[in-house]
Amino acid sequence: MLSLFSPNDYTLIAVILGLPLLGAFVNGVWGKRLGKDAVRLMALTAVGVSFVASAAAFIGLWQLTELHKGEHVKLAWTAWEWMHTTGGTQNASVPIEVRFSIDQLSGVMMLVVTGVGFLIHLYATSYMADDDGFARFFAYMNLFIFAMLVLILGDNLPLLFVGWEGVGLCSYLLIGFWYENAANAAAGKKAFIANRIGDFGLLCAMFLLVHYTGALDWNGIANGAASLVHPGEQWRVHVWPLGGGQYTGMLHFLQPKNPVTISAATAVGLALLLGCTGKSAQIPLYVWLPDAMAGPTPVSALIHAATMVTAGVYLICRMSFVFVLSPFTMMVIAIVGAATALLAATIALAQNDIKKVLAYSTISQLGFMFLGVGVGAFTAGFFHVFTHAFFKACLFLCAGSVIHAMHSRIHDGDKSQDIRNMGGLRKWMPLTHWTFAAATAAIIGLPFTSGFFSKDEILYRAFVDHTVNPRAGEGLLAKAGVYEPPAWLGPALYWVALAAATLTAFYMCRLYFVTFWGEFRGWTIGRPSLLAKQELAHDHEGEHEHHEDLATPGYPPHESPWQMTVPLILLAAFSVFAGWLNPGFHIPKQPMDHWLEPVFQAASEGAVLFAHGNDAKWAEAMTWPLALGGLSAFAVGTAVAYWMYVVRRGEPARRIAEAFPALYRLVLDKWRVDELYENTVVAAVDSLAETAAAVDKTIVDGILARLTSLVVAAAGTILRAFQNGVVHVYAAMMVLGLAAVGWFFAVPHPNATVADAGNDDYVITAAPGLGYAYRWDADGDGKFEKDAFGGDTTLKLHIEPGKSQNVRLEVKNSFGLVAGKTIHVERPKPPAEQSASL
Amino acid sequence: MTTLGLVYFYACAVAAVLGALGVVVSKNPIRGAMGLLLLILSVAGLFLALHAQFLAAIQLIVYAGAIVVLFLFVIMLLGPSAATPNDRRGLVPRVFGGGLFALAGIGGIGLVVRAWLAANHPLPMPSVDPSFGGIDAFGSVLFADALVPFEVSSALLMVAVVGAVAVARGRQGEHTMSKSELEIARSKTVSTELARPRGSERSGVFSHEIDEAKESAS
Amino acid sequence: MIPIEHYVILSAILFLLGGIGFLVRRNTLVTLMSIEVMLNAANLALVAFNRSRTWHPVVSGAPGQSHTGQVFAFFIIAAEAAEVAVGLAIVLSMYRLRRTVRSDEADLLKN
Repeated sequence: MLSLFSPNDYTLIAVILGLPLLGAFVNGVWGKRLGKDAVRLMALTAVGVSFVASAAAFIGLWQLTELHKGEHVKLAWTAWEWMHTTGGTQNASVPIEVRFSIDQLSGVMMLVVTGVGFLIHLYATSYMADDDGFARFFAYMNLFIFAMLVLILGDNLPLLFVGWEGVGLCSYLLIGFWYENAANAAAGKKAFIANRIGDFGLLCAMFLLVHYTGALDWNGIANGAASLVHPGEQWRVHVWPLGGGQYTGMLHFLQPKNPVTISAATAVGLALLLGCTGKSAQIPLYVWLPDAMAGPTPVSALIHAATMVTAGVYLICRMSFVFVLSPFTMMVIAIVGAATALLAATIALAQNDIKKVLAYSTISQLGFMFLGVGVGAFTAGFFHVFTHAFFKACLFLCAGSVIHAMHSRIHDGDKSQDIRNMGGLRKWMPLTHWTFAAATAAIIGLPFTSGFFSKDEILYRAFVDHTVNPRAGEGLLAKAGVYEPPAWLGPALYWVALAAATLTAFYMCRLYFVTFWGEFRGWTIGRPSLLAKQELAHDHEGEHEHHEDLATPGYPPHESPWQMTVPLILLAAFSVFAGWLNPGFHIPKQPMDHWLEPVFQAASEGAVLFAHGNDAKWAEAMTWPLALGGLSAFAVGTAVAYWMYVVRRGEPARRIAEAFPALYRLVLDKWRVDELYENTVVAAVDSLAETAAAVDKTIVDGILARLTSLVVAAAGTILRAFQNGVVHVYAAMMVLGLAAVGWFFAVPHPNATVADAGNDDYVITAAPGLGYAYRWDADGDGKFEKDAFGGDTTLKLHIEPGKSQNVRLEVKNSFGLVAGKTIHVERPKPPAEQSASL
Repeated sequence: MTTLGLVYFYACAVAAVLGALGVVVSKNPIRGAMGLLLLILSVAGLFLALHAQFLAAIQLIVYAGAIVVLFLFVIMLLGPSAATPNDRRGLVPRVFGGGLFALAGIGGIGLVVRAWLAANHPLPMPSVDPSFGGIDAFGSVLFADALVPFEVSSALLMVAVVGAVAVARGRQGEHTMSKSELEIARSKTVSTELARPRGSERSGVFSHEIDEAKESAS
Repeated sequence: MIPIEHYVILSAILFLLGGIGFLVRRNTLVTLMSIEVMLNAANLALVAFNRSRTWHPVVSGAPGQSHTGQVFAFFIIAAEAAEVAVGLAIVLSMYRLRRTVRSDEADLLKN
């Protein structure tokens, strides 16, 4: 593989990217005409071949890594040079190219995206088979794969941003896929707007980076990263007073004693974090993800479980070498992650919609990933991304399979997803059941499944790790104050994450037991023989009975076709066994860790220090106690769920809900965060918009538009009176003009120009005219130089500086009319002498 | 300044002024045409006094012999409707235009008179030899220096002929009214003209808006 | 000899009368005739100036004798004859359409 393309011009990347784009284009433009079979073929081929190419590229990368023995290698391909900007300390020109690169990190991600993407495409060909928008769906899905690949493979931040926006766009299009329903369209809008708020952060980070480090591609930023933590005052970002000015005059009271500054690394980190919270649905921008369940289930699986929402974590991993320069930011990331994990887990406890539970579960697991990268365990966090892709996609697809089965008789969208209408499905949907069970086992951390390894690693590292600036001890930086997270942070994070893990186990098992065990609550299942007779009797009725009487016996929920179950099986297998790629527990030679080591080298160089008197030995000793904690979380959660929902058939849950109705309502309403946003932020924007609308209507429309039109109309009415069509009136108007012109010619016009002839002399020249004769009075005393009117048109004057003189000119024309004008001539004083310079 | 010359001048001048007044004032256009004829004859006489014999002859031939005759033809063609009743409609712009013009003119005449009176030395009339203003002199200028205007004015005359025929011809199939229709039309136009209410007509873009506004306001 | 100013003033008076007639009268035929009066006045002024001033001759003619004014008046007569022809044609046309020779009846361009 390596021999086919050179590492710096790895054109296979063009194939990986180009095929989904082609698929999107073909399906989008000609999809309807081509028909469902062709669309299916195009979409599957596009993603499938892209996956094969990705695998080939990955093998090539592997070979290259072997060749270079553990360096951070890349397979790169430059498409074209996009633009230039200026940046850096010397305001040098920074080129931005459309350049894609596969390194260890993006290689893994690329395989996940194309592989899981392919499976989900296959699933969707069956799930969406009855939909009218089949071609449109696959066009959007392929476009999404393309955008996601651009995001992952982009070699610089602007290109990543292109992919970032692209996946946001596809998310919007796919969430609102059934756009005739206004709620779906609103959900799409919400997703896009929340993402947009985050994108602002990403843009600010880009601006800061190009200014401080003078580059926007990964290599360049890494090279210039030192300038992000420069202790010099002018290198820091001023927070208060904002921008580094001074509050004077009236605002003097706002001036702080010591200006508050943060390092550029912190500023960049926090800005990037804002972007990541938007894309990866963390606090405060997670509100769009539950609403996004309005889209079709394959969309939820692909975008909101496996790939798009992990883009934020990917970005943090990508820019790990920047984040570690700011321990404060790392702390914030970890806290945000842990808080989100716990919050989402609590909300998921009370939800009754199967997809909503999975959505909150996704948010919670993303919180875990953020926690992992926030404490410096980049590999652990990324590994959780990797495993999460498998088991979450599997869970969503199983949910889709269940919904598909429920849809056969329950046609209402909301009711078919309500777990209260399900139950005992394991009897009729064995494949779905076992795959769901496998994925659930992974997510709750059943020992030796993938989720167990990745989650436990995160919990462990949260407790023991301590991120400090790697260059803290060096030279100048020793003088600069570097933020050190408090000692209790690690354990605090651990306990919060543990609580979240327990809740995860609980609600996932709840979901599993309620859906697949117990009695079926959807409709009455009839005996097969009875049903066959019914079928014959009701043969003449139409196939689509929209008013189903669910009391009449019907067929049991059916298993899904092979296109849906094969991906389920594959994903379940991965979710169970993929964990062995990075088992943790200090087992040497962990594949994933080793593979990703070169990428996180800069981050791990001294970034993980055990401070406060702890050291590596202590960390190793803590391994088993912490693992026990994780195991107990799993055990407790599962046991309680089993007891509550299988043994006691949900009775305790109902009693708790009745005992604390307000609390239950609050949790069911997602802690009313959406309503909070609605009433504060959205209401503020709305009132601003309404003010603007009122101003527009009254001032702009009312006054400006109406007034000007009235003025014009009035002027028109006046002018129209002159146009009465009678020639005489027009002639009279002409006479008026003629008389004015005649007057102008009959009357003499005295005019003169004053020219400076130098040496304090002035020359005054009178304006010429037909038959004019001139008479000058040079000193304004009333006596003319020559009493007779003559032909001399110029007069010379000499005026001392600072003095002035009035000159009178009289003009007589051939008709004998005389007119005069007084001209005031002044010589200004020269500027005062310069005082001797000090 | 011979007496005969002065008398001749003043006679022609008075006749000219009377003729002009006749044109302007008379109600009957035939009378006006006669006034015009008197004017032309007096101006021809003045041309003779100014040593422009050829031009005087041309004046008589072309003006008196062709143009006035043309006027008379048209007046007689129109018949009684050539004379229009003088009512007071549109008096204001007419008086305004005429008055302003008169004022300006009288001002101009005043200026000329002032300049004339203020002139210290009257410029003498140069003496000319007998061939001045004769047909030979005229011809030598007309076909040498003024050749271009000559050719252009011949083209102009042709254009005028074509134009006059085109304008006066009328369209094919246009209905020319008979005498009785004429009477009816004439009486109708006069009565409708007198009866037409003034001041309530509005045309133009905003007239409907103004009407609307009036309606909504009332 | 009669001073030139007499002729100029006479020409001015005739022009004035013609102009007033043009502006005040509504009968189109009288208007046209007033235009004739004005043109005659102009011709008179031209010929008078030609006689009184010694213009430098352009090319031909005896030195000190130039006929520019008279030739100009000649062309004015020619052009003005054309104008009268077309003007009367217009008057006839208007009469045929509107049965009137009054100029304030022709107000289709009103407003």
